[in-house]
Amino acid sequence: MNQVPTAENVVEMLRDEGIAELAVDFPADGNLFDAGMDSMAVMQLIVVAEERFGAVIGPADAGRENLETPAALARLIASKVP
Amino acid sequence: MSRDVIVLGAGSAGLAAAVTAAREGAQVTLLERHGYAGGMGTASLVHTFCGLYRMGEGPPVMANPGFPAEMAGRMLASTGDGGPVKMGRVWVLRQHPVDFVRIADELLRESGIEVIYHAEAFKAGREGGLWAVDYACRGQIRRLEGKTVVDASGDAVLAGLLDGASYQAEPAKLQRPAYVFGVQGVIEGEQGLALAGRIVDGIRRGVLSQAALGLHFRASGRAGELFGTIDLSGAEEGDYDPLDGACLSRLEEVGRSVAGAAVDFLKGEAGGWGGAYISHWPVRAGVRESRRWQGRYRLTGDEVLGGVRHADDIALAAWPLEFRETNRGPKLRYPDGDRAAGIPLGCLQPVAPEGIFTAGRCISCDHDAQASVRVMGTCFATGQAAGLAAVLAARGEPVEGLPARLEARFGPLE
Repeated sequence: MNQVPTAENVVEMLRDEGIAELAVDFPADGNLFDAGMDSMAVMQLIVVAEERFGAVIGPADAGRENLETPAALARLIASKVP
Repeated sequence: MSRDVIVLGAGSAGLAAAVTAAREGAQVTLLERHGYAGGMGTASLVHTFCGLYRMGEGPPVMANPGFPAEMAGRMLASTGDGGPVKMGRVWVLRQHPVDFVRIADELLRESGIEVIYHAEAFKAGREGGLWAVDYACRGQIRRLEGKTVVDASGDAVLAGLLDGASYQAEPAKLQRPAYVFGVQGVIEGEQGLALAGRIVDGIRRGVLSQAALGLHFRASGRAGELFGTIDLSGAEEGDYDPLDGACLSRLEEVGRSVAGAAVDFLKGEAGGWGGAYISHWPVRAGVRESRRWQGRYRLTGDEVLGGVRHADDIALAAWPLEFRETNRGPKLRYPDGDRAAGIPLGCLQPVAPEGIFTAGRCISCDHDAQASVRVMGTCFATGQAAGLAAVLAARGEPVEGLPARLEARFGPLE
């Protein structure tokens, strides 16, 4: 059983992997796209979410509403954890 | 016949240098290996002018006066775009390589420059108080003589020929090359995040190789046309060496193979991509970093990040440090307070010999600073400065007066 991430875990993952340069206290509802995440970074994110959490994010899930904030991302990843 | 200025390379820096020198009344010969000018912005299909505008909040304001501003104006008139667009935190100007070629032709014609295309310099030296540059065109060898030479080759080719002082980052650190290709036939096609998700899905299923990670598409501004960009690792087999023909050849081959597989995949799976086809290969992969001249001054990344100015600045570096040391997307570092650092005259002057200047991405700076100054907007500005410096030197006037001459001619920096 894979672990379900919190918004804090998501921020940590994005920072560790160099996907987005975020402050340690980046808010759960902060806008990741405004913080510099782009479609190339989203590709990294999808790969890393699968490596870390086993969450398979498909093309239909890769919408702004699912990826925009650490909280939304944590929810998306949780829903995709097998 | 000898001329005042020989310019090596007609990319953004060489074009700016040649046009600026010719407008000062100098006799200029421009040597270029392709059949048109523009370099990265044409032959390598890089379709964005970065470094043209000041960083920070507020509306777009030109960072460097003179040639960069003129190019922006001519490009906007040619493409009919509304104006610059914000990419993340910085303003950029979308440019089209086909328009760039036509604009360069006009500029070169208007300023009376002798242009020699299909030519590659292979030997250079001093002879009778002049610089002699030998070049080859299809097995024919010719000689040019000039009072000064501007090395705008991007790879510090003249430093290689003269065994001049130069440096190059270790292979693992070098900015990765970009492979850009044109695509047509996509009608209201899937794009952005969904397309990113689709490509990762292709990689996950083993239909696409890992190299497709980071492939992204942008609208060219022309109906139904996109540009695809892949950052290659450069190390498909062995170390990345952007001056090695065998390594460059592998890059070209890998770029085409990744692009071809990706478009085939998207044709079959992505909405609106059924009629997609590759319409344009680059003449060459886009090398971001290679050999640079060692100059009388070496600009550092810390100076760029600190927004440091110098007494003899000849241009401003109005772009963040954009690292592409891996093929996993750019990492940007912004200067303190979004202040643009100055590029001093010494960055354009090799430690030796006299009568040579450099411009563009092979100016004297460290690896970190090059991550900022390599962009085309800044290359226009350093090219303009090198062109004027070469004219001063050709006339026996002190080159130290360049900052004041630039200001008198084009206006102050910021």
